[in-house]
Amino acid sequence: MKILLTGGSGCGKSSYAEKLVMKFPLPRWYVATMRSYGAESEAKIARHRAMRSTKGFETIESQTDVGAIDLSQGGTVLLECLCNLTANEMFDDEGNERDPYEKILRDVRRLASQADNLILVTNDVGSDGEAYSDSTLRYVDTLGRLNRAFAAEFDTVYELVCGIPLLVKGEEV
Amino acid sequence: MILVIGARSSGKRAYVESLGYAPEEIADGVLDEKPVLYNLQDLTLPDPEGAGALYDRLLEKQVVVCDEVGSGVIPIDKGQRLGREATGRLCCRLAAQAEQVVRLVCGIPQVIKG
Repeated sequence: MKILLTGGSGCGKSSYAEKLVMKFPLPRWYVATMRSYGAESEAKIARHRAMRSTKGFETIESQTDVGAIDLSQGGTVLLECLCNLTANEMFDDEGNERDPYEKILRDVRRLASQADNLILVTNDVGSDGEAYSDSTLRYVDTLGRLNRAFAAEFDTVYELVCGIPLLVKGEEV
Repeated sequence: MILVIGARSSGKRAYVESLGYAPEEIADGVLDEKPVLYNLQDLTLPDPEGAGALYDRLLEKQVVVCDEVGSGVIPIDKGQRLGREATGRLCCRLAAQAEQVVRLVCGIPQVIKG
């Protein structure tokens, strides 16, 4: 089963994602995509790690190239999150930009094909106007296109609002 | 407590008035004795670290109204980023305790809890 979770910042996507994963048997894999940029991201990473610590997750650090992950054991994968992965694939440390759309589609599909279940967390970044640089708007468009593509392919889509899951597509898990 | 959320100008205030609350019963971004607090985000966005401490007093309200501020591009400014996070997390906690959560979309109330 493939599930997409979307919503804004601080809406409870991570905790709901982990609740969903617990409905599936071991092994459970957490694919962590966040790059650490200092204390704030370290704190976020630590918070997510603490939430997972008692839940039997194996963590796989993969800030890019999630298609290269070997999941021959199968199991349930929580990939968090598509917004970081897209930024990591799109911009390098020198500020160079490339269009990562096809690569991310391929990579996530390959990961999904090895997993028994995939829960993909993304973010709603297109809802606050257009007062951004061209490069940021290209990022918003790319993530929006990826969200649409995965929502079309996946079984179930939820939007999280104040911690409440709203079913957008498919059946309740 | 009823939690009313939605985008800016989505019809939250009109909805609260339709529940029977008079304008003088609605506090705008101020924690006072009125039964309704409107614009919770005006308290949390400027002071993310203090947001969690509002929780107990907000539970005493009959209605709490907050803009959904977490959607859109993650701000580069750290204060804005933390403000959005803190507002969202506080709303998650309030929603968990609320008897009802109502989300306004284009003026249309959707009961998403209760």
